[in-house]
Amino acid sequence: MENKPSQQKPAENTEVNQDELILQQQRRIEKEISESIALVGEKEPLQSLEREYLEDEVYLSKAKTLGQKYSYIRRTRPDGNCFFRAFSYAYLERLIDIKDEFEKFRELALKSKDNLVSLGFPEFTVEDFHDTFMEVIDKVGAGTEASRLELHKLFNEQGYSDYVVVYLRLIASGQLQREADFYQHFIEGDRTVTEFCHQEVEPMYKESDHIHIIAMSAALGTGVQVRYMDRGAGTEATAHDFPEGVPPAVHLLYRPGHYDILYP
Amino acid sequence: MAAMSPSERRLQKELMSLMREPPPGVHVDGDQAGQNLTQWIIHMEGAKGTLYEGERFQLQFKFSSKYPFDSPEVTFIGGNIPVHPHVYSNGHICLSILTDDWSPALSVQSVCLSIVSMLSSCKEKKRPPDNSFYVKTCNKNPKKTKWWYHDDSV
Repeated sequence: MENKPSQQKPAENTEVNQDELILQQQRRIEKEISESIALVGEKEPLQSLEREYLEDEVYLSKAKTLGQKYSYIRRTRPDGNCFFRAFSYAYLERLIDIKDEFEKFRELALKSKDNLVSLGFPEFTVEDFHDTFMEVIDKVGAGTEASRLELHKLFNEQGYSDYVVVYLRLIASGQLQREADFYQHFIEGDRTVTEFCHQEVEPMYKESDHIHIIAMSAALGTGVQVRYMDRGAGTEATAHDFPEGVPPAVHLLYRPGHYDILYP
Repeated sequence: MAAMSPSERRLQKELMSLMREPPPGVHVDGDQAGQNLTQWIIHMEGAKGTLYEGERFQLQFKFSSKYPFDSPEVTFIGGNIPVHPHVYSNGHICLSILTDDWSPALSVQSVCLSIVSMLSSCKEKKRPPDNSFYVKTCNKNPKKTKWWYHDDSV
């Protein structure tokens, strides 16, 4: 008995150090990523995608086919928020040119706070994010060439960009909870919709899946087309429309774990 | 006076609201927090009709400049650390909203409510099974622990 603790100790210590090491490495990688990739990058010709895959036949052929349908790609930082960031950037960019759709969206955005509060979100924190969200919308709403520059600038300032991401996460969560009976069917395991929202939708950096996209698109009434580029069969990145049959206002490229913006 | 950062602005707002309308059994030390917005002490009473009735606890909240994007660092401090299956004797708390499930839409108030509810639903006062090992080896900052969350029903 006397020996037991001292025998166990080295093994236990290794375990803890491993934990610590993994976390340190994770933080280092995250830092490297954030320093090297802009939150939202410049528009690049689609050929830049092909150049990434010169050594990889499957992806190269898909990148080439994609090049026949799309002209540009805009990359976003792979930090788990990329769907929400890419979606909101692409949608606001589109609205710069379409005045009446912009007004409709602004109206909806304005009312969204009360909707969230009535669903039980704390007014106090929601208000904070809503204010900044509206500020961003109004700053890019002028519909001029300067709006594009402003949009790009705001989305690359963490203080604005992350506030927009948080608010969209709340809107998506609100949508899921409002129609929980419907969305429950899409949730694997025995989590309730509310639990799922608390764990996978509302926290920052949690990656987005179909259900996030469906909720986002439904909440704003915006069609989204996602091109899925993976190791699957074929030479084309499969297109998926959310919801089906609605002409897409936003085009995204999905590669495992990450979303970027596409331009037809 | 220098302009407040977004994180300070948010903390200031939270502090005012918590002082004005504290949840039952929760009391923030406003003078102390007002002096240093990045570190608060919150007094908590065990709720009536629960195993902790009549007990008083102290929670320490530390906030980084990235709050509310980063979760606050929350620990029990002082002479009375609640004996609970998710609370280590060094004051660390195993609660998913403090790390993995933190969202910027949560707040000091919602963390306090979760802790009150965690204590209130306890059926047997005991320490976590790995308490002595954990307390000997853990980092001072509980956010650096890779938690494995037990079920929330305890």
